[in-house]
Amino acid sequence: MLSIKNLKASIEDGTQILKGINLEVKPGEVHAIMGPNGSGKSTLSKVIMGHPAYKVDEGSVELDGKNLLEMEISERANSGLFISTQYPTEIPGVNNVEFLKMALNSKRAYLGLPEIGDEEFKKLIDEKMELLEMDERYRDRGVNEGYSGGEKKRNEILQMAILDPKVSFLDETDSGLDIDALRIVANGINHIMAPEKAVILVTHYQRLLDYIKPTYVHVLRHGKIILSGGPELALKLEEQGYDWIEEK
Amino acid sequence: MDALSRIKQLGMPRRNDELWTFFPVAKVLAPEFPDACACEEDFSKENDFAALLPIACNARTLERTIADNESEMALLKCNNDFGRTVLNIGKNAKASFEILDNKVLHSVSAERFDIHVGEGADVEIFFANPANDLPLQFRHFTIEQAAGSSVRFSSIERGNGISRVSLDCHLRGAGAHFEIRTLNILAGTSESHHRLHIYHDSPETTSVQFSRNLLDGNSRASYDGSVVVGDGCTKANSSQLVNTILLSEDSAVSVKPVLKIYHDDVECTHGNTVGELDAEQMFYLVSRGIPPEKAKMMLISSFARELFYPLPDSPAKKRLLQVLE
Repeated sequence: MLSIKNLKASIEDGTQILKGINLEVKPGEVHAIMGPNGSGKSTLSKVIMGHPAYKVDEGSVELDGKNLLEMEISERANSGLFISTQYPTEIPGVNNVEFLKMALNSKRAYLGLPEIGDEEFKKLIDEKMELLEMDERYRDRGVNEGYSGGEKKRNEILQMAILDPKVSFLDETDSGLDIDALRIVANGINHIMAPEKAVILVTHYQRLLDYIKPTYVHVLRHGKIILSGGPELALKLEEQGYDWIEEK
Repeated sequence: MDALSRIKQLGMPRRNDELWTFFPVAKVLAPEFPDACACEEDFSKENDFAALLPIACNARTLERTIADNESEMALLKCNNDFGRTVLNIGKNAKASFEILDNKVLHSVSAERFDIHVGEGADVEIFFANPANDLPLQFRHFTIEQAAGSSVRFSSIERGNGISRVSLDCHLRGAGAHFEIRTLNILAGTSESHHRLHIYHDSPETTSVQFSRNLLDGNSRASYDGSVVVGDGCTKANSSQLVNTILLSEDSAVSVKPVLKIYHDDVECTHGNTVGELDAEQMFYLVSRGIPPEKAKMMLISSFARELFYPLPDSPAKKRLLQVLE
């Protein structure tokens, strides 16, 4: 499904942030990526989506055998990749629902499908908003405009639910969420997850993984995955931090 | 002194004239003035060539009065090179005026609007000119507001020629409020220039100036806005904000805020931003699968529409947002 091989990427001044990432994600899997601040976790999601602030120095990223690095950003998204960044961007003046409809229709056009009808779209968005227990006011506001941190994260999962991607890379989706919101968002992700899909979660805490059971847990440090394991690794990291890994 | 004598006294606009700082004055050619001026009003204190031009050229005057407490919606259209409109708005009247495009075929058009707003009246004036080929277009507004009145002036300019809006607003009565929202969507070699003087002549008067520019090609925009708060005009409040997005390397904007404050207990602010489309917003939209060209149009449209969202629900808001769809 998603295959990342020896991915190296740097920022404009030449500083290399990713120093050889290898990650294989198969359908039905949930991968949790943990690691200290500044280790390259957020950079990884932006690089595979093609953020212009990063330059790929080496390596490959394939989704279902297609080279993502050769695609335009919108094409990567329409091929089935979804990323949710740590700090979702506010776009005042662009209505949230109109934006969602435009995004969905762009994907449908890419897949050769007709535009979704108004009734069908309303039904879809009603269903997903109910799943995420979202307030009606999300419909009328600008994209993430004036949202709290938690509201932005919930809106990101709404987008994920509408766009129905193959692989979702969710960067610290649990940050800014209160206990109830964390449960609702995690349930939403579990609901969207399916055997033919995969999720990569970046998190600092076990609490999200109490709700979304990872298949694998990886530790990213200094731009490389230095350790991988099962769900028990997250518990150990929660207890002992990261220092013991270097000791090893 | 009549308008013709005054315009001859002033001469043609010059670059070193503060009222014409950013305007390409070489493009203003002397029109054929009549032998005599039909209007006998005294214009000895008028310094703006564009304010005098229609009167000096004996423009036909349309006068309209709205009685106290009445409501009216009207379209204003000038069908000649030069035009003058005088609006008298009664106490507590409510009026909405849309100024339609003046599609004359000559090299210059100049319109003047004299608007007298009575106590407590609520007036909106707006225009959303479609692209036209007028080479040179002047619109001058003189607005006198009595106590408790409110005037909202909104415009969208996206012509192919050179336009200049000049406006002198006198807030003569306590609590009077003036608000201007201007949007320029320019491309090619088109230019749009705004020159404003807002006089806070009474206490507790308020004014809002909000201008946005989307400039492509070799287009030019300028905003020369001055606010004068008189002595004793306590609690006057004025704000001015100009936001510009440059969509090309060769487009340019000039902004000159001027504040003359003769009283202590007032609040006056001004701000100016110039930038490109927000790269993070672009990334966000395309990362959701929206093609770059569509994403760019969404951002441009939202930047433009946002300017008019704060307007109350009215014919102006409806028309301006409709034009931007």
